[in-house]
Amino acid sequence: MKSDEDLSRVMESYADMVRRICFVHLKNRQDTEDIFQNVYLKYLLYEKAFASCEHEKAWFARVTINACKDQMRYFSRRKWVPLDAAEVEGESKESASSEVLETVLKLPEKYRNVIYLYYYEEYSAVEIAKILGRKENTIYTWLMRAKELLRKKLGGEWA
Amino acid sequence: MNVIQESMKEIQASEELKAHTLQYLKTQKSYPRPYRMWRYAAVAVCLLLFLAAGGYRFYSRPVSYISIDVNPSIELGVNRFGRVVSADAYNTDGQNILDHVKLRNLAYVQAIDKLMKSEDYAVFLTEDSHLVFTVISDNSDVILKEINADALAQKYQVTTYTSDLACRQEAHQHGMSFGKYRACQELTQYDESVTIEDCHGMTMGEICDNIRSCQRYRHGRKKQDDAENNDSGQGDGQCGGNAGHHGRHHRNRHGGGY
Repeated sequence: MKSDEDLSRVMESYADMVRRICFVHLKNRQDTEDIFQNVYLKYLLYEKAFASCEHEKAWFARVTINACKDQMRYFSRRKWVPLDAAEVEGESKESASSEVLETVLKLPEKYRNVIYLYYYEEYSAVEIAKILGRKENTIYTWLMRAKELLRKKLGGEWA
Repeated sequence: MNVIQESMKEIQASEELKAHTLQYLKTQKSYPRPYRMWRYAAVAVCLLLFLAAGGYRFYSRPVSYISIDVNPSIELGVNRFGRVVSADAYNTDGQNILDHVKLRNLAYVQAIDKLMKSEDYAVFLTEDSHLVFTVISDNSDVILKEINADALAQKYQVTTYTSDLACRQEAHQHGMSFGKYRACQELTQYDESVTIEDCHGMTMGEICDNIRSCQRYRHGRKKQDDAENNDSGQGDGQCGGNAGHHGRHHRNRHGGGY
């Protein structure tokens, strides 16, 4: 089990990334907090050693993306929505002032992931393929299509 | 900084969220994890299974053997706790009895008592029958003493012998109990014309009677030879073989014997 020092270190290093991935996928603050805690709980219980900081960071990215997917799958299966969650959904979209961000958030989930990992975290397509467990060519295709969608909606440097 | 980074730069984990999460992790650290409990439980179960299997093997391993022969030939395997862990029949009569009389897990003296008291076995215990116990054990003296002290054994005037594992192995190769095989070997030493295969069809009473006849014949010949001061040791006739007990066997007569 991880020490308090380890937890503090990874909290400082990856909390923002975990939060942003949650933001890209989830629509309300409560879900984000749940996923955030679950990701760190998984880290607490993870017994294998990481080969490097990059490996550790990629682990956090992958685990967060998978946790978000699970959460969305859970919601999609559920026939009802809790009243408080429904209330929050409308208002809880974080203040996504920038048009770019709003457009990214409207992309299909798979494109959101690659756009975030590629542009924000600056992972290469090969690294994204490893994180998402997909073939490199699939990642290239998704990147190309995601850019195409952004180009249509935003123009500018995407054009 | 690219436009995506620019658009998301304000999205950060709040200090409150970090603090809550760290607090939550601290509480989780103090709980025993269910998966850990499962792991310990699995290890404990494996250990128990291992000990149970080892204990069962230890318990079920025979260290002594008792062959009980009249006509039914039955061998009992006895573990180090004095309990019967195997009961095998070496002829049809024996099998018929074991089909009806369960001897496993009884103390061997109780098992012998139960066997001799059973209706199926009692039909073979007549005045003319020869009940022979042959024991293979490191503690054969103790086992023989207990058998000889048994009231039923005294009633039927049993004869007891000791034998060894090599004899038992040979006996099983011939499809016989080692008690009967020992008696057959004794007979073949007196009468070379008799083979082990011939003994298959004989009861212990018949084998013992033949041995007794041969012993009498040999005793008479020796007296005659001594009287005539003739050359001794060249036996002829039916029972002229090398007399005496097989080197591996020791006889302990109890009661009348044969």
